[in-house]
Amino acid sequence: MSRSLTKLKKRLPGSRWLVIAVPYIWLLVFFAIPLAIAFKISFSQAAISMPPYTPVFNWVDGSLSLDINPKNYLYLVKDSLYVNAYLSSIKIAVVSTFLCLLIGYPMAYAIARMDPSTRNIALMMVILPSWTSFLIRIYAWIGILKNNGLLNNFLMWTGLTDQPLAIMHTPLAVYIGIVYAYLPFMILPLYANLVKLDLRLLEAASDLGARPWKAFLKITLPMSKAGIIAGSMLVMIPVVGEFVIPEMLGGPDTLMIGRILWQEFFNNRDWPVASAVSIVMLVILIVPIMIFHRAQAREMESKLV
Amino acid sequence: MSQNKRQSGFSMLMLAMGFLFLYIPILSLIVYSFNESKLVTVWAGFSVKWYFELFKDQQMIDAAKVSLKLAFATACAAVVLGTMAAMVMTRFRGFRGKTLFSALITAPLVMPEVITGLSLLLLFVSLGEWFGILQQRDISTMWIAHVTFTMSFVTIIISSRLSELDRSLEEAAMDLGANRLKVFFVITLPIIAPALLSGWLMAFTLSLDDLVISSFTSGPSSTTLPMKIFSSVRMGVSPKINALASLMILIVSAAAMLAWWSMWRTEKRRQRDMQLALQQN
Amino acid sequence: MNQVTQPAASPHAKPEKAKAENYVRIEGLRKEFDGFVAVDDVSFSIRKGEIFALLGASGCGKSTLLRMLAGFERPTRGAILLDGEDIVGMAPYERPINMMFQSYALFPHMTVEQNVAFGLVQDGMGKADVAARVDEMLGLVQMSKLAKRKPHQLSGGQQQRVALARSLAKSPKLLLLDEPMGALDKKLRSQMQIELVNIVERLGVTCVMVTHDQEEAMTMAHRIAVMDSGKILQIGTPDEIYEQPNCRFTAEFIGSVNLFDGKVEEDEKDYVTIRTPGLGAPIYVGHGITGFDGMKVAFAIRPEKLNISKEEPAQKYNKAQGVIEEIAYFGSHSVYHVRLPTGVKVLCNFVNMKRWASENFTWNDTVWLSWADNSGVVLTS
Repeated sequence: MSRSLTKLKKRLPGSRWLVIAVPYIWLLVFFAIPLAIAFKISFSQAAISMPPYTPVFNWVDGSLSLDINPKNYLYLVKDSLYVNAYLSSIKIAVVSTFLCLLIGYPMAYAIARMDPSTRNIALMMVILPSWTSFLIRIYAWIGILKNNGLLNNFLMWTGLTDQPLAIMHTPLAVYIGIVYAYLPFMILPLYANLVKLDLRLLEAASDLGARPWKAFLKITLPMSKAGIIAGSMLVMIPVVGEFVIPEMLGGPDTLMIGRILWQEFFNNRDWPVASAVSIVMLVILIVPIMIFHRAQAREMESKLV
Repeated sequence: MSQNKRQSGFSMLMLAMGFLFLYIPILSLIVYSFNESKLVTVWAGFSVKWYFELFKDQQMIDAAKVSLKLAFATACAAVVLGTMAAMVMTRFRGFRGKTLFSALITAPLVMPEVITGLSLLLLFVSLGEWFGILQQRDISTMWIAHVTFTMSFVTIIISSRLSELDRSLEEAAMDLGANRLKVFFVITLPIIAPALLSGWLMAFTLSLDDLVISSFTSGPSSTTLPMKIFSSVRMGVSPKINALASLMILIVSAAAMLAWWSMWRTEKRRQRDMQLALQQN
Repeated sequence: MNQVTQPAASPHAKPEKAKAENYVRIEGLRKEFDGFVAVDDVSFSIRKGEIFALLGASGCGKSTLLRMLAGFERPTRGAILLDGEDIVGMAPYERPINMMFQSYALFPHMTVEQNVAFGLVQDGMGKADVAARVDEMLGLVQMSKLAKRKPHQLSGGQQQRVALARSLAKSPKLLLLDEPMGALDKKLRSQMQIELVNIVERLGVTCVMVTHDQEEAMTMAHRIAVMDSGKILQIGTPDEIYEQPNCRFTAEFIGSVNLFDGKVEEDEKDYVTIRTPGLGAPIYVGHGITGFDGMKVAFAIRPEKLNISKEEPAQKYNKAQGVIEEIAYFGSHSVYHVRLPTGVKVLCNFVNMKRWASENFTWNDTVWLSWADNSGVVLTS
């Protein structure tokens, strides 16, 4: 590493290499290396010690011996709880992403077509909720969805139901919470993309005889592909590992892997298993993350002169 | 032609319903913070007593202090690192390792917090083991963790601004005798200042609001506000939380209004100036 | 085609004799981008105090060449000598060169004064000296009254003046202009062209400008270099470029031209005849060329050099009859598109001395075109 550092130093005059090195090293040390450490510890075993796992690298008489135990991974595969949790998390993530897209796309579209002055106000109104605490907004849904909560009170008051609907602690509540929390993350990339769309293309289409819906399907939709991908990745990937929402709104049957990890770590104090859980989650997500990175890099490159 | 100019009724309807969806929970929080009854959603009369309860809760106040301090320190560091990273992404031509760097910048944007939180804790524990540093988990470990995950957001905001910036401004400054460092501090920085503020606010908000990463990397003396709220909510819903929520919403809304009003004012002034210039010549 | 001949004397040479012939010397300058050659081994020199234009279409390499002079691009090979010093290794901020950008690049967060003062402040000049110099420069461009304004409070023309003042403040050895009139409207353009040249000449600053607008180059520059695909095709004064183009490209690029491809029939010391399928009769050129019988050449003649008449002219050579197919009316003159019996179309400029169209030529008129022996140029490439 230091050899490439000196090479870098030589190529760039003055303090330029410093500007690259500082954030680079920070991210390597505090983002990349921790993942490697998690990988290492996933091969360890829980122990009553400080730290609560057995060491992987052992120095015995000056030579290195490795104590690798893939037991944790086998454990994950064998126990159906984990497999189901992974599958369930992926399912919830995909469905939520789709719901966000369904709701968010028309909203982004409407905002993109507004006059510049109203547009900014509308945008701010979309972003504003996300500046207030995420935790608190999820908490608000507890008050709305519980048995004697706002929604049920409203439904019973209007006479639509006579028994309170049990929404709290069901998968439905989790979906509502996730869509609520992640909707701005879908709207913003979609908006950024749609606003660049040249209205004249649509005018040309209608001039050539295409009806509005057709023009939308054949022109607008394909051109907003980049925004759809960015927004979808920004929702889907974090939701797979989501903890707070299923914890607060979900029930015992809403299995999400983020919750499992938390429980393994905080409740069972089994750090190695928790590490294994996170590594498997990472492996599952590596392809979507690469897709996202590719899309982001392309976006940034197109702006580079 | 006119069909395109007019907003499609469908999308406007979705927009209106979307806004309703986004804001009803927030409004409900505020309304029920004034509820006399302890049962949050059973209205029993107007009262501000929960606000007083809130201010008597010393633990909450301490947690709030920790959160604010942490968020402030995080935002400052994130802006510095994020700006450096943004300069590298937009102004430095391809060097070996740029792809890896770019991946390191974009990955934290989507990485699930449980993964980053856990892995960072393991790092601190290992560092404590090998080098004897960062043994305590406290506000400094949390600070490192927060800076790491907020930095990428700042980088995106500032990169976006930098790539829009007219490159010839920086070239002109160099042409007139300023070296690159001077150009950055005297020309680039003042011009992108609003983006820096944006980035700072974004990092501040993300840090203030964070629960998962804070939980993994905190120690006994460093409980943040979200952590306190979380443990409190686990025990049951309370209008005190509503009161806290309402205060936070009020502060954020006031800040947003202020920002919007100030932007509107500068924009109006700028337009007036340009009109004047056109008339003069 | 990079051989450059320095003409002995030119009707457009300014009275003050240039002190150094090679004040700026470009030697074998080359720039490649990933295998694409933007500037192809270019060599030429610029006199001190001269206004030198690089003229060409977009993508010809002129901007890259300018940027190498400024220091924003490193040449792949070659040398740039300014007043005897090779500046290729110098960073932009070390060179005694200043540039006026196409977008003006005025610093938006600084006032007009601060913009003009910027370069002087970077050099560590004292406050009082800076203020005096800024005053002087603003007076030069007539912007003294608007010194405290910010760029967005100025019109386009005003911004240009400030940009000019800023680039001249440090009395650079070389001033670079990147499409100086590009952002202005037509009326303002003609006015500013004259003003700019006056200021630059008054200060005696050596100047290189880049433009795609031939009118601009012809009006403003002492000498022009016509560029295409990274190479310089011809260097000369505006009238040399116009009246003595050295190749097809230059002839066609500047103004409009009639080109006839043909073969040399008689090659004598003081005259040449060319047989061309485009015209019925051979062309008689009143001077010799370095060539041989049967050599393939092109004869170029500008539309304004052609006479147009109803009756057949008396001369033996250099005439053709045709029918007026189209008339492009420009108010002060008309361009007649005359179709010859061979099928070739010839352009002929005609000054509208008579006010009414009916008294001039009209569509489908049969007319005779004719020209003098030395009105055209023989091109070998």
